[in-house]
Amino acid sequence: MTLDPAIGAPAKSDHPKAPDIPVSTRRAPRRGRPLPVINALLALLVSAAVLYASFAGVGPLPALGPAFNPATGAWTMAADAAPVQSQTLTIPGLQQPVRVMFEKDGTAHVVAQTDADLFLAVGYVHARFRLFQMDLMRRQGEGLLSQVVGKAALDSDRFELQLGLLRTAQMEWSQADEITKIALTAYAKGVNDRIDEAKKTHQLDAMFTLLGYQPQPWTPIDTLIVKGDMTQTLNFTDTPLVMELLDKSLGPDLTAAWFPVLPPNPQSPYDPGPYAIQATPAPITVESSVTDSQAATALALYNRLANLPPGLIATGGDSNNWAVAGAKSTSGGALMAGDPHLHLTLPSIWFQLTEDSPDYHTSGVSIPGTPVVLIGHNQHISWSLTDAQNQQTFFYEEHEDSAHPGQYFWKGAWHNYTSVSYDIPVLNGPTDHLTVKLSTHGPVISERGLTTSVWWAGNIPSQDFSVLMRIGQASDFQGFREALRDWHSPTHNFVYADDAGNIGMISAGYYPLVAQGQPWLPMPGTGEYDVTGTVPYDDIPQVYDPPDNIVLSANQRQVGPTYPYYIGTASNFFDPGYRANEIERVLSQPGKLSAADMMALQTDTRDFLASEIVPILVQALAGDQLTTSEQQARDLLASWDFRMETGSAAASIWSTFWDAYLSQTFDPWWKAKKVTVDRHELDGALGQDLEAWTLAGTTPCQPPDGCQAPCPAGMPCPPKPAQPISSVLAQAFHTAFSTLSTKLGGDPGSWTWGKLHTRELENLAQVSGLNYGPRPDRGDANTPLAAGDSPSTHGPSWRMVVDWGTKTFSGIYPGGQSENPASTWYENKVDAWWSGLYAPMLSADEASFAPGVATWSMQP
Amino acid sequence: MKRWTWFFITLIGVAISLAGLLLGAWWLTFVAGLVLGAFIGRGRVAIPAGALAGLVAWGVGLAVLQVHFGLGPTASSLAAIMGFTNQDAIPLVLTCLVGLLLGLTGAWLASATRNLAFTSIDHAQTGER
Repeated sequence: MTLDPAIGAPAKSDHPKAPDIPVSTRRAPRRGRPLPVINALLALLVSAAVLYASFAGVGPLPALGPAFNPATGAWTMAADAAPVQSQTLTIPGLQQPVRVMFEKDGTAHVVAQTDADLFLAVGYVHARFRLFQMDLMRRQGEGLLSQVVGKAALDSDRFELQLGLLRTAQMEWSQADEITKIALTAYAKGVNDRIDEAKKTHQLDAMFTLLGYQPQPWTPIDTLIVKGDMTQTLNFTDTPLVMELLDKSLGPDLTAAWFPVLPPNPQSPYDPGPYAIQATPAPITVESSVTDSQAATALALYNRLANLPPGLIATGGDSNNWAVAGAKSTSGGALMAGDPHLHLTLPSIWFQLTEDSPDYHTSGVSIPGTPVVLIGHNQHISWSLTDAQNQQTFFYEEHEDSAHPGQYFWKGAWHNYTSVSYDIPVLNGPTDHLTVKLSTHGPVISERGLTTSVWWAGNIPSQDFSVLMRIGQASDFQGFREALRDWHSPTHNFVYADDAGNIGMISAGYYPLVAQGQPWLPMPGTGEYDVTGTVPYDDIPQVYDPPDNIVLSANQRQVGPTYPYYIGTASNFFDPGYRANEIERVLSQPGKLSAADMMALQTDTRDFLASEIVPILVQALAGDQLTTSEQQARDLLASWDFRMETGSAAASIWSTFWDAYLSQTFDPWWKAKKVTVDRHELDGALGQDLEAWTLAGTTPCQPPDGCQAPCPAGMPCPPKPAQPISSVLAQAFHTAFSTLSTKLGGDPGSWTWGKLHTRELENLAQVSGLNYGPRPDRGDANTPLAAGDSPSTHGPSWRMVVDWGTKTFSGIYPGGQSENPASTWYENKVDAWWSGLYAPMLSADEASFAPGVATWSMQP
Repeated sequence: MKRWTWFFITLIGVAISLAGLLLGAWWLTFVAGLVLGAFIGRGRVAIPAGALAGLVAWGVGLAVLQVHFGLGPTASSLAAIMGFTNQDAIPLVLTCLVGLLLGLTGAWLASATRNLAFTSIDHAQTGER
């Protein structure tokens, strides 16, 4: 027989030599036993299990082998997190050498000798620090999230492909002008240079490894998709659906009274008129009531949109910007401040940089995935944006007939829907097939009940990058204004200041005009109610060097009541206006203003609404029976400066009181009328009504008991029982007091705002362990330092202050330049931002002399 | 087979495994285990040797990263991504475990297969006789 050298051979060791025993004798006990077979089978099974887990992952765990390989897996984020060092890089596609300097905090300065090289280098730098974020954003817009995260993202993907960001991006690219094509092509080349390099060196972001995929090459379409994402999150609204549901439940009269076109409360339009075209907007006319099928359709679509991931539907803006003319500034030069309020994420939506080339000298913040500075300054002008909030989304109920399948009736004839088909790859699942129908109004987004299509301005090609590049080259207001002529969507309030002391504001974009009907509701799609055009550019809201030397926007309605065009209703399209009122109050005070004043105002926590209502409340409580503790709470309010500071107990009392006042006033109506829209979603609009009634001393009405009898139409309806407003206010105060006592104990002095109100910066990939906070924080939804909800996840995503008199530029955003959570640049700017501090925005020349600068020398 | 031979073969296994890690072919750790199991044969030696080779290779990979860049923030981040916030050791342990299991199962499978094969031959030859 053959001797098994490993098993059967006598061990040649230091042990005493065993007596020579015939192998057959030693093996005898194993003969006929299944042990080796079982052993081999077990080994096979366990090996298969380990290999399966290593190759494919188990449960929530990724494929363990590639994910945890120390040399090429997720651990490489350690190397990626290392501080950036000065080095020479070879970047294919460059025409000339490019220099990229990084300040200690990660701010990048790109200096190129050609414009194309500039955008190529910016693409490389963005991808170096934000590739996963960029990939997520393009996947969201292109309906490709399911491919990497599975069916959980399928609703989002289907909706995005229905809405049509991809189709719009493709159209925009086909219509792009030469400078846009050069910029976007060069940018994509830079991104792809980095993708290739990262693949070769195994330096792709760890999230790619953990999710088990590699990024595809970047294209100019992807950049346009990222722009589309932003357009969607800023101005695709479900407001007409909400209005229809309100109309159905509350009735048209009450809906018109509570959710009017013009704001019921005092506001601060920056362009109050007079207007070139003298006309007044048509009042709301009550047409036929909303039918059951219309309401059911609206509800189904409303619920569908409500269940989409956050960010796909615009939920109201929260941004500030303003400018002060040189005549009113201490430096003698114009001042400008801007703080766009967005979802605060880690990594941030922003990447800070300067761009220098023969034709561009801009500094500010860019969105990773796009090649230009969106908010910032050049050598002569500065600009910042807030959302203009006008209505850009219109829903149409298509008229269909079973005798005409696949057709809709429009302008007296039957028309075929066109259709586009998509395959949506789904991780660990079958590919989803989607066919999108398109009517003349736009994509059909619901066929549950009435077929509903949507006309959305974001689906009209808008050459925003061309505009931004021309803004970057502008040196005066005329150039700035001419560039914005081609900006269509999303509509933004562009504030302006220049080195000659001038200021201005233009709310650039499309303001769709509807032939007739009630555009704040879904409209019939038969042609009579179509969008027929847009407000002429010369008539859109705008001012230049206003006589009071200030201009401001905070998402409020930009124009006064005599503006001749319909641009949206007061509720849910425009902001209630408290931030704008507060900013105007501060800027309008006598005396001159400095950059420090701008910074103080950006971080101010004075609640304008509280300043109006609290004195009335305190007066109402004067005649009320109060306990000692309640008196203490009232005294706190009476001596309050209306600032929502973390240490303020009065702030907690005010906020809880206002919630109770809203609830006390409107919840009975919601219950009686079976309103299907969440009341809290409408608190801004209802708060405007409540504010107006309270200031006028009008008692808010109560619904008849159970609404057994028909409710009186419209406002005011008789209260049951009739109460003076002081009693209503006192009742809400008692409710608030009780709520706070239960929640925070019996001592009103200890009810500090920080115990109720926190802020949190959320990780973009929704990894809660990588969030920042929640931490107690200042402000509320009405304060210039916006911080609605708790934990507040929206707020000032970038703060910039410009003083053209001293040529000083300051800015900061909550986050860091790197998306790598192990990097010191992941959240290194958060603490300073939280404390209200600013960093100087250095030019490339200044940065080259700054301490600790690392420089990349990019060679062709 | 002398102990130094086993040690030498184990070192070869570590080298194969390390090379695989550097090339992105992490599964070479399993192959290294197979090699060890095939050459050493004796399960009670081959299996620990395979496990050791995997553990050492993956551990060395981590150690190199620790020396050059520090692993603290990365371990913390990976733990958070995996849902184990503030339990930074978990990704480290998991990584070492993956290396260990790949080496161990490779060696075990080879050793058991070899054992089975020789037993079968043994049976066959015994039957012939």
